[in-house]
Amino acid sequence: MSFSDQVYQELAAVVGERYITRKDFILAGNRAKTPEMPVAHPSAECIVCPATTEEVAEIVSICLRHDLRYLACVTGCIPSAYASGPDTVFMHLKRMNHMEINVEDRYAIIEPGVRHVQLYPEVRKHGLSYAAAAVGPGGSPLVTYAVTGGDNHVQYGASRPCRYLLGVEMVTPEGEILRTGSLQTDSGWFCADSPGPSLRGLVRGYSGNNGKLGIITKCAIALDQCKGPAEIRREGISPHHKMFMDGDCSRVYVFNYENIQDVCDAMLALGEAEIAATVQKYFYLPLTLMMTDSANDFFKKWEYCKKTVPMPLVVHIATQSPEEREYEEKILFDIVHETKGTRIPRDLEMWWEEHMDYFMIVTRLQSVLRLGGSWFPCKASAESVQHMCDIGESISEFIYDFTDTGKIFDAPENYQIIPMEYSHFASSELLFMWDRFNPDGFKNMMEFMAASSATDAKYFYHGSTSSGYGPSAEKKGKLYSNAHIWMEQIQKAFDPRA
Amino acid sequence: MLFPENTAQVQEIIREARKNGKGLVPLSSEPPHFHGASENANAETVCFSAMNRIMKIDRRSRYVRVEPGVTFGTLIPLLAEHGMRLNLPFLARAGKSVTTSALEREAILIPKYQYDYPDPLLTVETVFGTGDVFRTGSAAGPGTYEQNKADKVLPWGPGTIDYLRFLSAAQGTIGFVTWATLKTEILPSASRLFFIAADNVGQLNSLANALIRKRVPDECIILNRENFAAAFANDLAEEEKLRQCAPWVMLCRVCGFDRYPEERVDIYSRYVREACAEAGLVAETEYPLLPNLEERIENMLTDCDRRETNWKLRLGAQKELVMAAPPSKTAAIAEYISQHLPQTGLSVQPQVQGRAFRIECNLRFENAGEAEKYEAALFELAKELAAIGAYFDRPYGRLSELVYTEPQSLDAVKRIKKIFDPDGILNPGKLCF
Repeated sequence: MSFSDQVYQELAAVVGERYITRKDFILAGNRAKTPEMPVAHPSAECIVCPATTEEVAEIVSICLRHDLRYLACVTGCIPSAYASGPDTVFMHLKRMNHMEINVEDRYAIIEPGVRHVQLYPEVRKHGLSYAAAAVGPGGSPLVTYAVTGGDNHVQYGASRPCRYLLGVEMVTPEGEILRTGSLQTDSGWFCADSPGPSLRGLVRGYSGNNGKLGIITKCAIALDQCKGPAEIRREGISPHHKMFMDGDCSRVYVFNYENIQDVCDAMLALGEAEIAATVQKYFYLPLTLMMTDSANDFFKKWEYCKKTVPMPLVVHIATQSPEEREYEEKILFDIVHETKGTRIPRDLEMWWEEHMDYFMIVTRLQSVLRLGGSWFPCKASAESVQHMCDIGESISEFIYDFTDTGKIFDAPENYQIIPMEYSHFASSELLFMWDRFNPDGFKNMMEFMAASSATDAKYFYHGSTSSGYGPSAEKKGKLYSNAHIWMEQIQKAFDPRA
Repeated sequence: MLFPENTAQVQEIIREARKNGKGLVPLSSEPPHFHGASENANAETVCFSAMNRIMKIDRRSRYVRVEPGVTFGTLIPLLAEHGMRLNLPFLARAGKSVTTSALEREAILIPKYQYDYPDPLLTVETVFGTGDVFRTGSAAGPGTYEQNKADKVLPWGPGTIDYLRFLSAAQGTIGFVTWATLKTEILPSASRLFFIAADNVGQLNSLANALIRKRVPDECIILNRENFAAAFANDLAEEEKLRQCAPWVMLCRVCGFDRYPEERVDIYSRYVREACAEAGLVAETEYPLLPNLEERIENMLTDCDRRETNWKLRLGAQKELVMAAPPSKTAAIAEYISQHLPQTGLSVQPQVQGRAFRIECNLRFENAGEAEKYEAALFELAKELAAIGAYFDRPYGRLSELVYTEPQSLDAVKRIKKIFDPDGILNPGKLCF
């Protein structure tokens, strides 16, 4: 069945005329394509803005009844956030922006329209914090925690969002409202797992379902005690700002390494000693981009950074007393000495100190990446610190074919490894960039991704995870315990149109 | 009773049962069994005692991989030889399966190491009710178990589903686990155990919350007088002496590791004392109700219960009720139990970084013939506790009547069951199946 005036009226009856539109200029603004993706997004038939879970459920039921596609969107950062075919109802969830912080039980209940820029300052007022993914202040914490991925720069002393997602309320593809965890028995939001086999397993695994098994309309996320100073003093206005972590309990150190296996040894030793709040091997290309305001400025600094910090290990110490800070520093310097690290020049280290708040670490990175050209991540995976470092080491086997020929930007060490749970695991990401005006850019990107996958396949490295449904997922799923078969069965069980 | 020795035999048993429409119930721990999950009159028992290999101990990446027949009694000393330890339950039975304990979300003693409810369970291999073998998280692939070069420690996935959570607390109704990878931690080089006495549980509950959010304690548990005496005494005479303790006692251990261990212990001890002072409490390192009691308790906190008679059964029999609660409701729930069943033993354990507590209520009695009477009393109590916020996420026996009442989630969990055990042969009749 196709979209009609009657359907429009049914949807309007749910949300009210004020919160539905099919004006061309608004629809056009919601089919934007990303510059690096040669995919044109068709227009949605209408945009509807529900305010409650019940309204979302009614909209899904209407779409189901009239056999229409629908999608839910908040930030629109990824291509799957846009219509991909005709007869699509576009649900914008920006009106669902309520939040509630439970300080004693350390969780926040959030709706999809809540942004980091709203939640984070409120949480900090209570001396609490959460693992904010590197999406910038406009990102939706609910999306990070329940719908997509969520590696973040403070996970060394914490973990991935998978660990912090508690009770969830969602609308299933059948238009029913499903509650998971302790919500299931009306026992509040505090517990992630349902009684017995946990329905939380449906909500997300390594990454989220991007809405395929339901629209998450509300969830609780666990909060941690804030590490570091209670207040971060700031000078200037973003992006030309500096921040200062005052006090005797917080210090930032950056070391350079020549060899990823030495970095691995350092990360594992730091984790065993249970010291430091943040540890990461950061990518040096975005680091340089963040320090610059123009392409000319970038190229001036790039040769220096490339030579001076090809493999930076960034450590933030945040303790409860100066005495503990000194104790941690003593261990840190022992470990760095043992693992052959060297402290980077003070001018570069100072930049880190003055620009990283270690919570919303890449508030500026997203804009800089856009200015810098087209980019894409690969090796976006997680496993033990050792395995991630082995994967990092294997990158040199294929990357020079692309950097030496100008197919991608010449930054062969541009991958990050961030330990989590005091180095029990780590996540990795190889970020590569190319000239967006190069007509072969997309083709080169695909070739590079294929080369990366081929290396993982050759060594049976866990450099990516099985994902997706249907025929395209089959090849990979076969290598991952036939995960594609189980995923497909789950989707069929919960989505009548799967 | 069937005794498989490997995964292929488990597959064969399940396929055969499907063909014949027979029920199967898994059993991994040695007796006594407290919850009845492994007893099923409508099913043949599959005993995993012969699958007791320790497949891997990895000091560098801090994990251990074991088959379900491996018990705490065997594993704890072996890990110590490698300088490692498990995040243990409180006085687990020596014959308890390490895998089952983690699968059943038993409370652990060191909340700072627990980031999520299934922790310390990382990955598992399972045979579903279809007879298919599946590995969870990064153990899934790429390739076979042998080909996959990962350490197989990452719990999530594969892909967008968290399969481990379908198996957690499932009482063997979704799949039979044939090995499990568990997180291990470094064995401390120095430690100090504190005894913090209080008149009411609320004071200790708040103290635990304050300390754990700063990651200060390693082991941390709050016991009422009855459970303190029962757990640490070796006989009834000692129990009487230990009943002279305060109404509530919190045990809090701080540790130092390989590098400058004493320095860390001193710094963290100061934090404990400061937090106690702020709460109007005192952290003592001596508790001289019995000679060398301090040393005995520290040893018991870091080991399993190797005594011939389990502490819960010293009187003859026991029934227990296990629940979870957020910090804000824990004290009220514990006080309610104390008021309504004054003779009951209570253990209150901070979990998942202190964001939740597990409350275990132990009702010990002499006459095993009265078990039904006590079970009924606990069930009535559970109904009242649910009304004030207790959450029964491990619904053994009749507790399932309390938790499976909401139609949408009940329907959803049955759909999951249908996928992984289409013929309903795995532990039939348990939970809501």
